[in-house]
Amino acid sequence: MNDLINDLYQEIILDHGREPRNFGECEPHNKSADGHNPLCGDNLKLTFLLNDQNIIEDIKFTGEGCAISLASASLMTEKLKGKKIEVAEEIFKDFTNLVSGSDEDLKVLNEEDSLYALKGVGGFPMRVKCATMAWHAFNQALKD
Amino acid sequence: MDDSKTLNLNVRKDFPILSKKILEKKDLIYFDTAASAQKPNTVIDETNDFYKNHYSNVSRGVHTLSVESTFRYEDARKKVQKFLNARSENEIIFTKSATEGINLVAQTFYEKFMQKGDEVILSLIEHHSNLIPWFFLRDKYGVVLKFANIQPSGEIDIDHFNSLFTNKTKIVSLTHLSNVFGTELNEKAISICKNKNIPILLDGCQSAAHLKIDVQKLGCDFFVFSGHKTYGPAGIGVLYGTENLLSEMPPYQGGGGMIGDVSLEGASYAELPAKYEAGTPPLVEAHGLGIAIDYMNKIGLDNIIEHENEITKYAFNKLNEIDFIEIHGGDNKRNSIISFNIKNVHSHEVSSFLDVEGIAIRAGHHCCQPLMKHLGVNSTARLSFGVYNSLEEVDKFVIALHKCKEFFNK
Repeated sequence: MNDLINDLYQEIILDHGREPRNFGECEPHNKSADGHNPLCGDNLKLTFLLNDQNIIEDIKFTGEGCAISLASASLMTEKLKGKKIEVAEEIFKDFTNLVSGSDEDLKVLNEEDSLYALKGVGGFPMRVKCATMAWHAFNQALKD
Repeated sequence: MDDSKTLNLNVRKDFPILSKKILEKKDLIYFDTAASAQKPNTVIDETNDFYKNHYSNVSRGVHTLSVESTFRYEDARKKVQKFLNARSENEIIFTKSATEGINLVAQTFYEKFMQKGDEVILSLIEHHSNLIPWFFLRDKYGVVLKFANIQPSGEIDIDHFNSLFTNKTKIVSLTHLSNVFGTELNEKAISICKNKNIPILLDGCQSAAHLKIDVQKLGCDFFVFSGHKTYGPAGIGVLYGTENLLSEMPPYQGGGGMIGDVSLEGASYAELPAKYEAGTPPLVEAHGLGIAIDYMNKIGLDNIIEHENEITKYAFNKLNEIDFIEIHGGDNKRNSIISFNIKNVHSHEVSSFLDVEGIAIRAGHHCCQPLMKHLGVNSTARLSFGVYNSLEEVDKFVIALHKCKEFFNK
């Protein structure tokens, strides 16, 4: 099998794509945003609860999409749950750099992170949007 | 594969891009002609030659280069007129795209013939380019839009279509060949419009290079297509309209080239076709489209159609045999396009997987989100064929599909 495909679809991606974690709507929640990829029609709704210490207490998503977009959203919720918002923003920046093949040094993510499995998306420029859809929704929710 | 049946047009050599290796080692199998066709050498060379040896603006100067450019631009119009069998060159308007052609008709037809509450009939299978220009009329002017249902076969439900007409119906706009199903418009839809004396626009983006077009025989009032899907350059589109309607409708955009006489108090407008061609047109692209038409004529449209029908049928039968494949649009005849899904695998995965095998197919909603909703899918994978494809490529594709299914369901 081709290395590029194996890099793109690591076991953890296929697993989370098939059985996304934290799938559903967060109740109660005080932040939400919709993610949408107009080029292909994939979409998701992200909801989370930010407590008064600015910690993401709970975070969930629903939606439909390809393995990459679902796995990315699933891994994102696992990673961000329990994080302070400042840390989550750093992770967002790192992740965006990671999947877009940017040379910028990662600050908080490293090879041990499950999110690192999405690095292979860099080999498929047209799929970067799949991987970042949930993250842009998260970023949008913070701004709203 | 039974080689004896293969109708080989032997044109692969005409398309330089087809010798490109994908990821440095895989032969390119291009199954995305419905999104955009590849370009033959003649189109590439002739457009280069235009810039190198003949280029100037059209219809504006009297010097040698202006004459050479204008000649090429107008010669392309003649070729398009013959290609569509329009009655006159005045019925051929060059636009930047088929999309612009539909916008042009929607805006100017409304301005001349419609008012608030008037109705337009479309269908569920329309491309966004044949929806949004009409949405604009609904949003801006209170025009009512009605949508014909489709049958499971992917064809428009003619009875339902017929029932949508009222005394407020002013125009109908339908795809001539579905970019999702590859199904041709039932000609009854056109005859219904004719009987009711309602103008009909046909979106010919997918049909122009894959069916023989005769606008007089079809009986449509407007027909649009794009250069890039017919082996020509992007940036050039064609709007055919009957001289009657085009004469009555007002100009679309204002600017140079579309005027009769201008004073500070006002302007009169040019005769057809210049009336609708404000600004410097995509002249080299128009010439390129003319060369692409020459190219198709040289192979022969009948040969092209026979070749593509054979491949489409072959691919359909192959896909139909595979239990994990769901083909959209029933068993009816298709022209050069097949939409499908691998059960439980998103079309993105299919497309990325095939990509590393050197196979280019389209995945997504194909600019038909209302249709996807109707089909109950988020997206589909789409195969589409052109003159350069072969049965052998279909065989390779089918092997890759099995590998793909195995990979994602491991």
